Amino acid sequence: MKTRPPNAMGTARGPLRGRSSRRDFFARVGDGLHGAALATLFGQDLLSPLAATAATGTRRVYDLTVREPHFEPKAKSVIQFFMNGGPSQVDLFDPKPALAKYEGQPPGRDLANDIEFINEAGGFMPSPYRFAKHGQCGMEVSEILPHLSEQVDDIAFIRSMYTTHFNHEPAIFIMQGGRQFSNRPTIGSWIVYGLGSENQNLPAYVVLDDPKGLPVNHLQNWQSGWLPPVYQGTRVRSEGAPLLNLNPAEEYPAPVLDLARSLLARMDRSHRDARPAQPELEARLMNYELAARMQMEASDALDVSQESEATRDMYGLNDERTASYGKRCLMARRLVERGVRLVQIYIEGQIWDNHSDLDKSLRYACGKTDQPISALIRDLKRTGLFDQTLLVWGGEFGRLPLAQSRESGVAGRDHGPTGFTAWLAGAGVKGGTIHGATDEIGYRAVENRVSVHDLHATILHQLGMKHRELVYSHDGRDERLTDEFPARVVSEVLKS
Amino acid sequence: MHVDPHFPTGRFVPIRSVVAAALSLAYGGLAAQEPSAPLFETEIAPILQERCVACHGENSPQAGLDVRSKQSLLAGGVSGPALVPHAPLESLVLQKTASGAMPMAGEKLAPVEIDLIRHWIESGAPSRSDDEVSAAAGRAAHVNPREILVTTVYVKCLLCHGRRRQEGGLDLRTRETALKGGVSGPAIVPGEPDRSLLIRRIVAEEMPPEEHQARLSYRPVTSDELDSLRRWISQGARWDDESPAAVDPKVDPKVSDADRDFWAFQAPTRPALPPVNHRRRVRQPIDRFLLAKLEKQDLTFAQDAERLALMRRAYFDVTGLPPSPEEVRSYLADDRPDAYERLVDRLLESDRYGEHWGHRWLDAAGYADSEGQVDFDAVRPHAWRYRDWVIRALNADKPYDEFLMEQIAGDELSDYKAAAQPLDATDSDRLVATGFLRMGPDGTYSVSQGFVAERMTVVADQLQILTSTVMGLTVACARCHDHKYDPIPTRDYYRMSAILRSSYDPYDWLSPNEADIGPDADWNESNSRLLPGAPESDVDEAARFNAPIEAEADRFAAELAALPAPLRRKLLDEKVPGLPNEVLVPAGKVLTDAAVERLADTPVEDTELDPAAVSKANALLGSFVEARQRLRPNPLVRALFDMGGEPTPVHILYRGEHRSPGPPVAPGVPSVLSDGLEPYELEPLPWSSGRRLALAKWLVQPNHPLTARVIVNRVWQHYFGRGIVQTVGNFGRTGSPPSHPDLLDWLAVEFVERGWSLKSLHRLILTSTAYRQSSRSDETRQQRDLDNVLLSRFPMRRLDADAIRDSVLKVSQRLDLEPFGPADEIEVRPDGEVVVTDSKQGQRRSIFVQQRRSKPVTLLESFDAPQLKPNCLQRTKSTVASQALQMMNSEMLRANSRYLAGRVIDDVGDNPDAQVKRVYLAALSRPPSEEEQASGASTLAKMRDAWRRELDERTPMEPKRMKADWLALATFCHTVLNSAEFLYVD
Repeated sequence: MKTRPPNAMGTARGPLRGRSSRRDFFARVGDGLHGAALATLFGQDLLSPLAATAATGTRRVYDLTVREPHFEPKAKSVIQFFMNGGPSQVDLFDPKPALAKYEGQPPGRDLANDIEFINEAGGFMPSPYRFAKHGQCGMEVSEILPHLSEQVDDIAFIRSMYTTHFNHEPAIFIMQGGRQFSNRPTIGSWIVYGLGSENQNLPAYVVLDDPKGLPVNHLQNWQSGWLPPVYQGTRVRSEGAPLLNLNPAEEYPAPVLDLARSLLARMDRSHRDARPAQPELEARLMNYELAARMQMEASDALDVSQESEATRDMYGLNDERTASYGKRCLMARRLVERGVRLVQIYIEGQIWDNHSDLDKSLRYACGKTDQPISALIRDLKRTGLFDQTLLVWGGEFGRLPLAQSRESGVAGRDHGPTGFTAWLAGAGVKGGTIHGATDEIGYRAVENRVSVHDLHATILHQLGMKHRELVYSHDGRDERLTDEFPARVVSEVLKS
Repeated sequence: MHVDPHFPTGRFVPIRSVVAAALSLAYGGLAAQEPSAPLFETEIAPILQERCVACHGENSPQAGLDVRSKQSLLAGGVSGPALVPHAPLESLVLQKTASGAMPMAGEKLAPVEIDLIRHWIESGAPSRSDDEVSAAAGRAAHVNPREILVTTVYVKCLLCHGRRRQEGGLDLRTRETALKGGVSGPAIVPGEPDRSLLIRRIVAEEMPPEEHQARLSYRPVTSDELDSLRRWISQGARWDDESPAAVDPKVDPKVSDADRDFWAFQAPTRPALPPVNHRRRVRQPIDRFLLAKLEKQDLTFAQDAERLALMRRAYFDVTGLPPSPEEVRSYLADDRPDAYERLVDRLLESDRYGEHWGHRWLDAAGYADSEGQVDFDAVRPHAWRYRDWVIRALNADKPYDEFLMEQIAGDELSDYKAAAQPLDATDSDRLVATGFLRMGPDGTYSVSQGFVAERMTVVADQLQILTSTVMGLTVACARCHDHKYDPIPTRDYYRMSAILRSSYDPYDWLSPNEADIGPDADWNESNSRLLPGAPESDVDEAARFNAPIEAEADRFAAELAALPAPLRRKLLDEKVPGLPNEVLVPAGKVLTDAAVERLADTPVEDTELDPAAVSKANALLGSFVEARQRLRPNPLVRALFDMGGEPTPVHILYRGEHRSPGPPVAPGVPSVLSDGLEPYELEPLPWSSGRRLALAKWLVQPNHPLTARVIVNRVWQHYFGRGIVQTVGNFGRTGSPPSHPDLLDWLAVEFVERGWSLKSLHRLILTSTAYRQSSRSDETRQQRDLDNVLLSRFPMRRLDADAIRDSVLKVSQRLDLEPFGPADEIEVRPDGEVVVTDSKQGQRRSIFVQQRRSKPVTLLESFDAPQLKPNCLQRTKSTVASQALQMMNSEMLRANSRYLAGRVIDDVGDNPDAQVKRVYLAALSRPPSEEEQASGASTLAKMRDAWRRELDERTPMEPKRMKADWLALATFCHTVLNSAEFLYVD
């Protein structure tokens, strides 16, 4: 594995030090504990009552210190483009000319069992878009993804994904946590539970949600479930204060703040000194310092104004359509650069959920994301991070090859769980691969079918973890992300 | 005509052949002809014989799978074929062994064995008996009647042809009624599928009816199902005639005597009090059990805690709130020897006790004010009645056995349906109490998540709540397979599930939705989970509140009805359809009469009407609607009740899959819990099936091995941070063994003998030396009792989420102590923080704040308020940086600090010394030491200076000095509220 680029971690510490009275204060609160001692502290929970044996070693303490994977990993970080809503495979990545033949014909009784809005189901509907072959691999991509079309040789497409529920909430739970139940840890939590984080001053698992709205299942998309809370994702906002209450609405005047801080330091120190052997109190003191460090480093990591105009332009920051998603893609690069283990980028509400007016809504979703994602791939390649960062693109399901008609307006497509497309790129991924196939109409995955569990196993594999051996004991049962489902690493999309 | 199911008529290659083609490309051909291909009999059978046959052999083919021959592997079990020649990845026998999922117990297969099996499958799975295989395929065409009934008829027919409704006179629950049929004739003609109306209606796509399938969550019969139905009728349309096997604990092959001998499954008996050396430290018998163990490690209790530290501890433990400065002062002034005991009595008599301990019970019940599960997260407007019932029951010290009886079977205790409405207080309370098993997450109101699988999850969650909370058992594993470690076979899981079937029937589902989802009004009434039966006082209050509004609405209604018919027609056509559901029907009724109906087909031309009259009519309708919308909803009870009639049979479900039904089971309790107990005995009542009542009676037997132990252990946990059994929801073999088994048994027996009185249990604990000792630790204690399992000191701990929020409010005198009633609103601020909406009186305790599963209040969430999925018996306590950010920077803390400063100035004036003293007393429940006093006052003085300088540069509206002093004190208060001492209890 490559070493981290020179400015990867902790860059903010030196130069900012003298400027921050906040920092100094918290250094005093922590009784002068700096550097190494603190490097292990983010989110550390010294109080967890039960130790569990993970495959990556016995844990007495649930924290985010770096842990050895099972084997040499290909990827150090993951950036996941969570395309919540369910992007339409037959309009983007999986052309089905046969649909033209059956246009308008109603579906049979079996297909009806897979339709959510059964009362709005129409006949078969061909894609309105032209597809063309791209790159050396000849992958066919829809005309509404012009930027990504240029990078197909860096990407492995899986055209044979399938899942088992046709509604968002359960399907998202499956995609995030492996099962339809709402109480399970998400894949992100499993990853940071297994590996910890390279940077203790930033959250290990960062969620960049869309300022325009949360996805379905809201905060549950990054919950730790029954894993300890230190493994849950941290929501980082791309507009306004990046972390909730990172700063107050209006800060006290500096001299007042200093007085308050030293008073608190005095109170807490004497409280602790009177209570020897209470590690919790020490942890609390350190957390106040950590909070201050986060205020510094998070602000720096997320400050995209430090980027050159050319870079900003490449991500589409100067175009209203792409600015929001582009900013988050750019933030994602700055975060993985600093050793953040996992960045998930979400999009507003359900823009891929194209129940009606397919053309308009799909063009909006593609327009918003196509250029930024493409720019991120390019940028990661430029900075050398591409080979150690795994990129994952996909939604909780795809869409049906049928038309869906609501009372007024133009037709869209309903949810399609039985066959859809996802893609991987970056660390250890064999670019230019087209894996699996759906049937003639793009309804069901039939060839080299890939389950959600297979995808999960593959992601863990690239991070150096065996899915059967990433274990947490809960309620007397050894739990895994892939549960007891047969899951295999999709080695066909990986470099050998 | 054969209709291809997925695709437009008959133009596609069937899917199966596509798959087969793909597979043969991938795996076919060459491999099969390899000379060295392994043979089943010589190379594969020995592996399977040694590792698999114990469970998948002749005697007990688990999951219906027998691995002893190639044919039986091909036939497979409930999960489908175990072997697909040439397709190793599709072959379960390889999948399961390679993943390590099988064998379930014992060592996994060696890689070389797995490779051999893989090689064998890739080679086409050759066997000596290869020509017999085609014969076996013919036998597989037999249709299992149970399977077709449970997976198709129950799911797609019984809703309208079952217990609640017999549309067209047809009842498909029994063979007799199906053969008899309905008004159109017999539904089934055995042996003749094409003459059977059941088949003909399905083929004609008339059944199940298309128009309701979206709203009622069913889908058409699939082609596979139709095919099976035809074959089933051809084969005689036999019904599933197996009746549930009786389970006799004395001869139960699934549970052994050794299983029953496990400590938690044997009744507790009162142990002798152990001798101790430090007898002067014994205040209560429980102290002896603890001391005896401490002394073995050469330890004893820590010295008694300081007076005020103990007072603050007791306040938080009993009421969840700190004492007020006045309470601190009067306690300090009380120099009677039993001042502390008196304090304990006062606290237990306080209404705050039920609120605090009620919250813990509600966590265990999975209580929330919304359904969860679905994004919309619908609010439960009537759930709070159950919350209030719990608080009142605890405050009244309702004996725990009654407390359980009413929650599990309140509806079965008397014939509430025959009683006059409004119900008397007893009946009403009992109905409200059954809300206990209606509190888990439930997304089945969503039509796309209201299918059988999701309904079964709701039932499973409720069972999990019941067993973990009341019985200390984790049974969820047994939903899919015989419990690996505990003697809870899958059979017993489904027997318990059958206890709930009379009120939760996945094939006869009551929607949690209150809105109209059924085909007609009649349906809605029979489909509701909400019962009339709210307490008379609620009904009266709603009536009082509604009376003037109804009168007002009636006046508007009369004016509307008096409008000329064309005007009314216009309103009906243009305005009424857009009205919200709850006013649409009443508005329609008011406007409609014969004259209006006559105009239905002749649209009213605008030109015929006077515009002024039209706008007046619109305004009138608007007033009517507005008045109707102000009406309070009818007080209803979110109850669990017996639905009457015979529920659908309960089957063991292999792997928990509703499409894999096994043998039927009757209601019952775990067979392992039988020693010395009266058995679960079902006595049908004239008004109810009695299934849950029998469970409740079985549970509250005084010598039940679990009921008392489980609750005393949880109470203990709340005081001492960990249970005597640390895994409070799991007393089984995978749980942790009790640290003090004798103490647990003594407490359990004592608790029952004291009449199941929780308050008495609290008093016992609160007045013990174990509770009254100091939390200070030292080297010796640290070394010999690191995790404080022996209780060599009191465990210092952080306040839990609710106590933090409630304390901040109480200290700043912003806590509104008004109890009960509908939950208080929350709001989401633009930055995403979820906060409680302020009222004039401040805010109420956290238990009265709306608990929306999708929108936890941020302050509570960051201090580990539990996610109730489905419930929580033990809150985690994390120490993470976001808590510091929350306490330092959130507006909630800053605003309340300003309030606190204001009240302190009101109370003691502007003297800094008096202010510091007052803040310490209010926030930390003690006066400051001399040093703290001096240092605090000096800091406060400097803060005043700093704020004055700051304000000198601004031009505030308020007097600068006064404002600066107030802000300085607010900053001081904010600092104290951030201190460890405020957040931790000694």
